[in-house]
Amino acid sequence: MKKSRVGFLFILPWVLGFVIFTVFPIIAALYIAMTDWSIIGRASFVGLQNFRDIFADPAFYKALTVTGRYAILAIPLTIITALLVALSVNNDYKGIGIFRTVFYMPSIVSGVAVAVVFKWILDPTYGVLNSILRLFGVQGPDWLYDPAWVLPSYLIMAVWGASGGLYTYLAALKDIPKELYEVATIDGAGWAQKIRYITLPLLTPILFYNLVMGLISAFRKFTDAYILGGAGEEGVFYMVYLYRQAFSFYKMGYATALAWILFVIILVLTLIVNYTKKYWVYSERK
Amino acid sequence: MKRKLSKGFGALVLLAVILFVAGCTGAKQEKSTYTFATWAAGEELKEFSVIIDKVNREANGQYRVEVLSIPSDYYVKLATYIAAKKTPDFFWLTQELISKYAELGAIADITEMFKESQVLTPAQYYPGVLRSATYQGRYYGLPWIANPLIVYYNKDLFDAAGVPYPPAAGGWTWDEFIETAKALTRTVRDKNGNPYQQYGYIVDGWPNIETFIWAGGGDIIADNGVDVLLDSQATLQGLGILQKILKAGITPPYREVGSLGSNNVWFEKQRVAMFMGGIQDNFEVKVSRLPKEEQFRIGYAPMPVGLDGKAHAFNWTASTVLSSKLAKSKKAYDVMEKITLEFFKWKIASPLAGEVDRILEIAPMKAPALATIQICLNNARSANYVPEWNEINHLLWLKLYNAMLNDPDFDYESEVKAIAAEARRLIANRK
Repeated sequence: MKKSRVGFLFILPWVLGFVIFTVFPIIAALYIAMTDWSIIGRASFVGLQNFRDIFADPAFYKALTVTGRYAILAIPLTIITALLVALSVNNDYKGIGIFRTVFYMPSIVSGVAVAVVFKWILDPTYGVLNSILRLFGVQGPDWLYDPAWVLPSYLIMAVWGASGGLYTYLAALKDIPKELYEVATIDGAGWAQKIRYITLPLLTPILFYNLVMGLISAFRKFTDAYILGGAGEEGVFYMVYLYRQAFSFYKMGYATALAWILFVIILVLTLIVNYTKKYWVYSERK
Repeated sequence: MKRKLSKGFGALVLLAVILFVAGCTGAKQEKSTYTFATWAAGEELKEFSVIIDKVNREANGQYRVEVLSIPSDYYVKLATYIAAKKTPDFFWLTQELISKYAELGAIADITEMFKESQVLTPAQYYPGVLRSATYQGRYYGLPWIANPLIVYYNKDLFDAAGVPYPPAAGGWTWDEFIETAKALTRTVRDKNGNPYQQYGYIVDGWPNIETFIWAGGGDIIADNGVDVLLDSQATLQGLGILQKILKAGITPPYREVGSLGSNNVWFEKQRVAMFMGGIQDNFEVKVSRLPKEEQFRIGYAPMPVGLDGKAHAFNWTASTVLSSKLAKSKKAYDVMEKITLEFFKWKIASPLAGEVDRILEIAPMKAPALATIQICLNNARSANYVPEWNEINHLLWLKLYNAMLNDPDFDYESEVKAIAAEARRLIANRK
């Protein structure tokens, strides 16, 4: 048997898996998005009607606004938080591993558990947050019960779980040659200058990676939003809206069309971020 | 040689015919193993399985029922089973979804078999309970539970405030109910002398909005399942009753309710004096397990009388339904009927009229409530569920009820008109 054929045979299980579990569902989803299908009954082809209905639905724009607003604020907040945490634990003091573990722990807790814990933390009457504020004589807000405070509530949760990217930043920080800092010290650079002119530029590839991942994750926010909700429509994130269309209202065709729109939104935003890469991301190939 | 060949060919044809006939006969043979999907889990599943085992034993091998337990994401998984053409033969379905599943052809129209049954007929049910299993005047399920609302109240808190008990036989109006709740809303002190607010009543999205809409004599959808009554004067009056309750300060602020876990805990912890709960709620058992000094006496009253002169008791019901693929199987229907009859001995309360005494066998502690429970069962009411119910109900919660809870001065009239318009659009698009 030819060597190339043996190679193909070896990758065949993966190719089959890819075709059956990825390519076929994508094609099926494209078809379902153009049908009136309730999961339970028969699907009937309706062309682009689902997309027309979506763009005429105020609830779609509301969900998109809630999610977009969250993404705009949560992505930079989580990136900055994770970066600051990484910088603060990027040394070899005794016992630093404990701190790294503690900071990383929130990212391994299940989304459901986080939501349940935050339900109590954000409780307006007996919640931890408002109890602490009361110690300083501040009457805390109603958090998830007040439309104006729903977004800040989710941002607090996002910041709490921001250290998911901690180890990627730490790995990148360890990769920066120490000689660069030594040279900078000899040249009289201070801490801030080293960060500004050495650390941040060399971290831009990992910042770029976390920006793209954050973008995807923010637009796909579901678990805590589904469990906690929020006053009025302020807690109806895009994925929650999509889920309800599919499994509460039995409009699977409509929900699949929503999924395609989300895919296009994320794709376009990622392409835009990718386009800006040449202006701010450091590359050794330059 | 030719003859031999022709004989052999003839034998083959004969064999093929025999196999074909046998195959056809086999296809016509009735199913003898059925699957029953349930959301029951834990202790409830054990009790459910005992019932199924009993039915299987009594079947004497004529059929067998297997349990399919779906304890989480029940409706998502059920829909997936149906999409995969593996619909369970029997399954539990909540009242809100009967019309949807009927419209989509997933469940069988059992009207004829139900009416002609010698064992269980529509006439035996409480009408308000049975209504939940209908769509366009046809029957699609056998309700196996009735759980209408009843007013539980704390006799000790009434005595402490010097407020007379509500009438056990009913007849009190919503205005009287609100006045009673006002008298019970006061600052009291705990055993350590610390002051805290005691409320007369609790609303936090429960009871559901139908309770108040019906209190005004209104409704969400008309009996014909098409007309939307949300913006009718009577419905607005009902929502006015809800607003009056929220503005009167007789219920804990919405943002505070979650602090004790859930609304019923407020009643159990004696923070509210009256609670509208299903007759199935087991406050009696819970209170009996509390430390002696935390126990209290429970009283019962029917729902207040609305502006239409009726004491509507919202009723939650689930039905056993039959897969549409067995729509013509009398045998399958009989099996479903037999199992449903067993459920009546299991749950509070049996949805059949005249069986209220069965409650004492299941929950003896409900004895003092029996007469009031009977009134609530007679007044049990289901909404006019339509296939678009979930969407309409979602709008009602998100844009109306939730908004009213967060802001007692909320302009519900304008919002309800917008929701009514959307409900009309949804119903007009029905296939």
